[in-house]
Amino acid sequence: MAADFYSILGVSRDASADDIQRAYRKLARTYHPDVNKDPAAEERFKEISEAYDVLSDPKTRQRYDAFGADFRRVPEDADPATWGRSRAGRGQSRSSWDGGFSDSGVRYSTGSAEGIDLDDLLGGLFGGRGRRSWGPIPGSDHEVELELTVEDAYRGGSRALRLAGPDGERTVNVTIPAGVVSGQRIRLSGQGGQGTGGAAAGDLYLVVRIADHPRYRLDARDVSVDLPLAAWEGALGASVTIDTPGGEAKVKVPKGTSTGRRLRLKGRGLPNPRGKAGDLYAEVKLMVPHRLSREEERLFEELAGTSKFDPRRRR
Amino acid sequence: MTYQLTRPARLGLEDFARLAELHPDLLRRFVVLGLLDATTDSGGALWFGPGQLARVARIRRLRAGFALNYASLGLVLDLLDRIAVLEAERRRAARRGARTWT
Repeated sequence: MAADFYSILGVSRDASADDIQRAYRKLARTYHPDVNKDPAAEERFKEISEAYDVLSDPKTRQRYDAFGADFRRVPEDADPATWGRSRAGRGQSRSSWDGGFSDSGVRYSTGSAEGIDLDDLLGGLFGGRGRRSWGPIPGSDHEVELELTVEDAYRGGSRALRLAGPDGERTVNVTIPAGVVSGQRIRLSGQGGQGTGGAAAGDLYLVVRIADHPRYRLDARDVSVDLPLAAWEGALGASVTIDTPGGEAKVKVPKGTSTGRRLRLKGRGLPNPRGKAGDLYAEVKLMVPHRLSREEERLFEELAGTSKFDPRRRR
Repeated sequence: MTYQLTRPARLGLEDFARLAELHPDLLRRFVVLGLLDATTDSGGALWFGPGQLARVARIRRLRAGFALNYASLGLVLDLLDRIAVLEAERRRAARRGARTWT
């Protein structure tokens, strides 16, 4: 492990045993793999546990301060000063033990009394060194959000995900079925947290989230899209082309269509691998030109003079 | 009897213990277990925000109501806080009559 145990716990090198325990408790509660489903959390939790394992025991902390990350390879009876000199080329090990070695006797006396249960439990679960054996324990499930565009959800396809794993980043190739909906979970069995003692690994769940789209609004598999029409197209009816996630489609606008009318195109929403495909709703929005040409203005005035239509009439 | 209407912005361990009606040593343990938030000044003394009093009461109620030790209460408090945040979000979304625009 490359990172420094003190920085993993976010405490200074002269932190008291209380400070170390306090930092550890909070971090453990945040990153425990059953609390935090992010695959990266499990690795983080193991680091936190290992750091606490070493720093919570006055003896191992002393040795860690003296010899650094590979303190376990240094013989028990080695003298820090001599050992440091023998590897003088690195220079770093000396300064690190100067700071942390001196008043250690006082520092560790306020050990924990009640919290021991949890320590044992967590230490045993995640490869903490030989405190108590719990037998094989299956790994936890992980959850990752998978953001897709509406088009991705329509077509399906494959996607390579980079995830945190026990040996650094790994790539997982996922096949996304066509017609997934927001909130749907795709299960990849055995791709979650590792079990201990030969127990099975947990599963990885990809939770689909379909990103906001500039045009399409989704309600499960139904897709709504704005359909801007010229005022006369609504009045006289028209046949217009609109974009749908599956390509262009023709919509027949009936005569006398006003803003707010929803025209349904059956089955033109998102596909459904197990059942009926969603529908597409074209929501009519009547528009008039921002600026009228002289001729247009004349025609509208003529219409205004002729028509008896009053949209605000009370019944 | 007179009541103080406002409390100072932060309380020392002794004052806090008196108001919480608990022994200072127990409160110190709460801090070590990460159940309470406290700041440590350069002299090593603990200081508590007044909001932590409600938290102490909650810790005591949960401890009395369930067979939980203080260490596991940390997780319970975290989860309850998280649920509270999520429920508030849900209520806000429901009030807005939010329609999902995705």
